[in-house]
Amino acid sequence: MTEIFIPAVTHVSTMTNIRRQRILPVPGTVLVRVNEKVQAADIVAETEIEPKHYYLDIARALGLSLREAARSIIPQKGDRVDAGDIIAGPVGLTRRTVRAPAEGHIVDIRQGRVLLEARGELYQLRAGFPGVIVASDGTQAVTVEATGALLQGVWGSGKQDYGVMRVIGDSPAARLQTDQLDANLRGAVLVAGICDHSAPLHQATELSVRGVILGGMSAELIPVARRLPYPILLIEGFGERPLNSMAFSLLVNNVGREVAVDAGTAWPQPGHRPEAIIPLPANRQVSLPEEVVALKVGRRVRILKPPYLGEVGVVKEMLKAAASYPNGVRARSAAIEIEGVGTTTIPLANLEILQ
Amino acid sequence: MSTYLDADTLLAIDVGTVNTRANLFDVVDGRYRLIATGRAPSTAGPPLLDVSEGVRMAIERVQTITGRTLVDESDLLIMPVTGRGAGVDLFVATGSAGPKARTVILGLMPGVSRQSAVRLADSTYLEVIETIDLLDQRKEEEKIDAIIAARPSLILIAGGTDGGAQNSMLQLVDLASVAVGQMPASQRPRIIYAGNRSLSATIGDRFDESFDMAQAPNVRPSLEVEDLARARLALGEAIAETRARKIRGYDELEQWSGGRLMLTADAFGRVIRYLSRIYDPDKGVLGVDLGASHTMVAAAFEGDLRMRVETELGLGESLPALLKRSNLSNVLRWMPRELGKGDLLDYIYNKSIAPATIPVDDLDLEIELALGRELIRVTMQEARTQWPKGKNLRSSWLLPLVEPIIASGAVLGRAPAAGYAALALLDALQPTGITTLVLDPYGLSPSLGAAAGSMPMLAVHVLESGSYVSLGTVVSPVGKVRIGRKVLTLRLEVERGSEDIAGEVKMGQLAVIPLRQGDHGKLTLRPERGIDVGFGGPGKAGALRVAGGAVGLIIDARGRPLEFSPDPSRQQEQNLKWLHDIGARK
Repeated sequence: MTEIFIPAVTHVSTMTNIRRQRILPVPGTVLVRVNEKVQAADIVAETEIEPKHYYLDIARALGLSLREAARSIIPQKGDRVDAGDIIAGPVGLTRRTVRAPAEGHIVDIRQGRVLLEARGELYQLRAGFPGVIVASDGTQAVTVEATGALLQGVWGSGKQDYGVMRVIGDSPAARLQTDQLDANLRGAVLVAGICDHSAPLHQATELSVRGVILGGMSAELIPVARRLPYPILLIEGFGERPLNSMAFSLLVNNVGREVAVDAGTAWPQPGHRPEAIIPLPANRQVSLPEEVVALKVGRRVRILKPPYLGEVGVVKEMLKAAASYPNGVRARSAAIEIEGVGTTTIPLANLEILQ
Repeated sequence: MSTYLDADTLLAIDVGTVNTRANLFDVVDGRYRLIATGRAPSTAGPPLLDVSEGVRMAIERVQTITGRTLVDESDLLIMPVTGRGAGVDLFVATGSAGPKARTVILGLMPGVSRQSAVRLADSTYLEVIETIDLLDQRKEEEKIDAIIAARPSLILIAGGTDGGAQNSMLQLVDLASVAVGQMPASQRPRIIYAGNRSLSATIGDRFDESFDMAQAPNVRPSLEVEDLARARLALGEAIAETRARKIRGYDELEQWSGGRLMLTADAFGRVIRYLSRIYDPDKGVLGVDLGASHTMVAAAFEGDLRMRVETELGLGESLPALLKRSNLSNVLRWMPRELGKGDLLDYIYNKSIAPATIPVDDLDLEIELALGRELIRVTMQEARTQWPKGKNLRSSWLLPLVEPIIASGAVLGRAPAAGYAALALLDALQPTGITTLVLDPYGLSPSLGAAAGSMPMLAVHVLESGSYVSLGTVVSPVGKVRIGRKVLTLRLEVERGSEDIAGEVKMGQLAVIPLRQGDHGKLTLRPERGIDVGFGGPGKAGALRVAGGAVGLIIDARGRPLEFSPDPSRQQEQNLKWLHDIGARK
């Protein structure tokens, strides 16, 4: 058994195989077949969530004993009923009845009571990016696969969309500002370094943008971001966090292409990360990105804490002894070479692999 | 094996959200000692969702440090110890990593059984999504919808004293049965019934084999009696099973430990309760654990354990939730330098997306310790609502006498100077009278709790060894006196050679008197009139033998409660001065 260190992995890949499972929160209907091609906006599965129930007390409503009430119930468990259909009765001189308060299904009958499940809210699952359906369980989950560029982020505002990518500014730290947003950007996915005001985000709404990809954003804007009609994807984090050099390069090299922005859903799956996918044809066989990668010499890493926060470097040496830091903290560390900085020592806990 | 200890070598694993620890204990000179501790990043989260890798890495660290072989070529634990000294005699494991169990509580009466059920949930890793009781004004179908919408992994039903109400209880049970019956079979929660025992057989009939139902002892056997401990065990099993379904590797730990896999909180609480039985019966014992995914306060008074596990408050992914219970200003008042609210908010959210990161500059360290103070303070306030009469918040705002205070958590244990941890604890807890601050830098307490059944002497031996760091004895005088007025005079007669130390302490002062770890002395305190130092009332003088610590003998005369300057810059200067006073900054 050798000692290894497995940090988090963030994918910043110019060409890879991307496979994503889309899962309904509860079983429903899968609308696509395996090997079927799908577009980003295609609905691949749907279900009803949080249906409303009516618990009808037949015995009390009709003034019957439990046994009499049971005999007066007309539909069987599983039957579909329309609003106004008679559920129980008629009984007595006045021919009393209990009618269905809504359209739905009878899901339970017990002790003189009927449980009617009305229709719930329709929940639809979209493919999210253009690809091919490679797996389906027929009721709840489908897997979409494509080739292309993949850029994983750290936070998403909770929506998904798809559009042509445009870069704002000319540097990884360029701010998203209102005077840069004009009609030419209508319906686009915008890329910028930093956003620290709500005004450009609101102006982007006016332009019906399909999404915004940022390096960093002020955390104070989170409530605003969650209310916007388009997704916001953060690649680095909160505050003054310019895009890292690898991410910026990937985005700039794909300007004008369509990008799918997945900033999360209301029903997140474990391990699901917000991300941007740029579908590209592969002219060679590409494999799925590795999800579990050991830290070792030569790995490309991103630094997650000051003083080199956000810098990308390469592991030069895994240090055997714990290193000391200016504030007195001691931690297991690695020597990292950062372009333009040189080699510096960083705690292993403050590194993540970029690949 | 030694002559009087049942087993010599113990390997204990604790799987946290961020770190997995392996602690190796062995017998040295007839007493248990911590031999080595290995820490590795936990792998319970994505992408692995398997605790095994983190466990193996932590064990490997221990093997590297000790040169001792603990696992064989197939990565299987060697047990018992072989003739060549490989392996261990006993293995225990504790875990806090994993999803919180989404819980719906059904209780009969809001102030009685429902309250007991909520207390029970608050004492472990449950996230209460919905509570329903007899006085709930919603229609039955609305309650059914609420249960389904909660997507629970656990439904806890409590109510009815033993032999008490039956019909109302059965209505609640039927409600649960109907609601759970509408959930897909793969998503049905475990149902735990901890109510009126006379209904046990009837309740069993209400759920067929398609339901996952278990019964636990009544949490409220009578109006006057609340019994949470036994039901907590049943809950622990349910939580462990919920985790094992979503994270691999826990089942292997269960096997290795021969069924001794415990929840970290339960094991932590067990140690605190044990200590309360052997220490000063007039004082309680207080334990605080500041984790990445929880903050935990365990207090025990002569064996009466009161646990509070805040699963929404931790120095990791859930950190932004602190702002639902407190605010940015409350955190900033602990800072020794200026920091904008926006910058603090950014820090909180960045920490939540990279919870394993560690601070390597002064500013980040100060922010994390400020956040840690506020997390502990908020948890402590909640915890004290459930403490026994005379000790709880309703009885007095002041913290009752406790001895010792045991604290753990990476941000405290990793602090570069003992004074950082000591000041954070004094600020957050504001102890009164005389107590001892003890730091558990290796997170040993859960291991000791898990092994207590098999190795009863382990906790005593290890606590008395140097593996726990005594930060020092603390004297916190209480009384209303103006800042700058004398509150007490003291004399410290150090046992081994040094000259006696005598002096006065004034209100507002935070003083440290040198007394190293392992040294002892006789401390005589003469408080001024109206000032209580814990010798039986205001103005009462006394003497006691005190132990030194990594900080020394601390006299915290800053007042209770601590008062904050309305001017933020003055408060920052004050905090910086206190850091210097306590020796964290030179």
